[in-house]
Amino acid sequence: MSAPHGFGDLAALLTPRSVAVVGASATPGKLGHTIFRNILEAGFAGPVVPVNPRAEAILGRPCTPSVDRLPAPVDLAVIIVPAEAVPETVAACGRRGIQGVVVITGGFAEVGEEGARLQVALADAARRHGVRVLGPNCQGLNNPHHGLCASWPLLTGRGRMAVVSQSGTVGAALMDWAAADGLGVSCFISLGNRADVDEADLLAALGRDPHTRCIALYLEGIKDPVRFAAAARACPAPLVVLKPGRTPRGRAAAESHTRSLAGDDAVAGGFLRQLGIHRAEDVEDLYDAARALAYLERPRGGRLLILTSSGGCGVLATDVAATHGFILPPPPPALAAALRAFLPGRCIIGNPLDLTGDATADWYRRVIELAAPHYDAFAVIFGDPIEGAADAVGATPVQCVTFLGGGGVERAERARLHARGIPVFPAPERGIRALTRLLPRAGVPGSPVRGSRFQE
Amino acid sequence: MDVTTGRHNLTEPEAFALLERFGLPIVPYAAAATADEAAAAADRLGYPVALKVVSPDILHKTDVGGVALGLADAPAVRRAFADVQARARAAGPQAALRGALIARMAAPGAEVIIGMTRDPQFGPAIMFGLGGIFVEVYKDVAFRLPPLTEADAREMIGEIKGLPILTGFRGRPPCDLDALTRCILSVSRLIEARPDLEELDLNPILAYPTGCVVVDAKVVLRGAPGA
Repeated sequence: MSAPHGFGDLAALLTPRSVAVVGASATPGKLGHTIFRNILEAGFAGPVVPVNPRAEAILGRPCTPSVDRLPAPVDLAVIIVPAEAVPETVAACGRRGIQGVVVITGGFAEVGEEGARLQVALADAARRHGVRVLGPNCQGLNNPHHGLCASWPLLTGRGRMAVVSQSGTVGAALMDWAAADGLGVSCFISLGNRADVDEADLLAALGRDPHTRCIALYLEGIKDPVRFAAAARACPAPLVVLKPGRTPRGRAAAESHTRSLAGDDAVAGGFLRQLGIHRAEDVEDLYDAARALAYLERPRGGRLLILTSSGGCGVLATDVAATHGFILPPPPPALAAALRAFLPGRCIIGNPLDLTGDATADWYRRVIELAAPHYDAFAVIFGDPIEGAADAVGATPVQCVTFLGGGGVERAERARLHARGIPVFPAPERGIRALTRLLPRAGVPGSPVRGSRFQE
Repeated sequence: MDVTTGRHNLTEPEAFALLERFGLPIVPYAAAATADEAAAAADRLGYPVALKVVSPDILHKTDVGGVALGLADAPAVRRAFADVQARARAAGPQAALRGALIARMAAPGAEVIIGMTRDPQFGPAIMFGLGGIFVEVYKDVAFRLPPLTEADAREMIGEIKGLPILTGFRGRPPCDLDALTRCILSVSRLIEARPDLEELDLNPILAYPTGCVVVDAKVVLRGAPGA
């Protein structure tokens, strides 16, 4: 295995050559067992050492009784020992020459004062020994391109979107959906309490990762807005953030209008928009935006053709498209004539272009080919069991595929599309909303169009 | 200074003077300590005038009857001076009253708000939006963090849902967005220059086809007055 690449002082965390699991357990069902097993089953190529004073061996690997007694230093230690023991364990890792540590254990700043003190002790120990810490109280990390699953569930699909999350479950859900869609992720990092490594550090590292085409973040707060802004500006990959905002603030009596309007979330929203960061409305939107940004080309402009086998879906798509700043010009006369030459009379040659329920994949392919010079993007809606649909679409010009109402044929074609790295959306609104993210406007509806750093 | 918050309000004349130093266009105004001074100021500024109570303790002057508008001559100004002082005194006996501010009545225009506040996480933040007395109902505002570029300022303006009101609507001429952009950037410079600036409301700013004018200002600084 080659040396850790390009991730600077996060290399030990993201691309370690060897791993120790401190607090590995022989008991199935315990996290110390699950994580150890997942690291092995994900196919990590380097040494994986369980550290446990009370077990001889776990899953066939001989145990080392303590960090101090590791025969050789490892790059990464995954720590699942009780909270009170963590600061000393981190110190022991530092003494042993371990540069990266992931602390899964909870019971720190999130539980109260005593936990906060433990977290300070942990951070101090790490700093004294030059150890980078992810967590504590986190769901670990998963770098499938490096064969490292130091997390749960066990997922190994390799893809283009990175997921950085303050909630282990939200991040794992995105990973899971990406796995189910056959798209995979480039990296999944659960931030936990951010005693050391935070989102700004990860933007800097992932911005240098050739596998990462988009970074999706779930953040409840931004630890250091100044560092985050600098990292975001320097990051070449587009960013999409889901940030809940409803932390209630006490209201002083004689507030200025501005202070009152700054309220719970308005300033954070402005901050993200100012940096050109897309803002997701919910977890589903976070996933949809991330896969659109990671897998679809950028349209040159906002001329959209909605191509559909379902009139109803065409109408739904039109609503969303118009609200989000696409324009929907009808097919110009020459194009309309060319389409009428092979489409049956019942097809409605407008925008949406309704191929009706017995549309064939070949019609879709020919319409896209003929219409390509006139539109910047296509919303391709398969609304029926259309055999061969997966062969009808391509990457250029931008085609955003929605498939619904197609039963077993849909499932088969969707799998084939995903195998080609083409994301498939399950409803017209989701597809159009995701497509909107690709417009050269940094996701701000209504603002004057300006040059976006996301534009190719 | 409010000892619990460590902050104090500038009077409106003090606020106007500070804003003028940063290039913000302020409605022609004068401070008056007596009814005579008020009438003399109104004569100089030209009728009709507005008369507003001056007090560092009164943040929302209209709420206490502290504003008289459309005063057409000197007698009206004198009467208004006395009435406004009396109403303000009745509404808040503890308030320090420092006379009145006389300002030439501005022509009607589109009302916008530019403001500033310190967010506990993000620090100083600038706000732009549709203004007037219903601003907290419509909440049609955008925030950015200084220092702002011109592009940031223009983007804030473009983000407003009510943008059509500013760009020309139902045959009305468009407002001078360049002037509004310059005001936003002036506020950004003010924030850079005054780390003691805590809160700022410029509401309303009246926007016209050419230019704009600040008609009302509230400024809160950290520390004691004169510090």
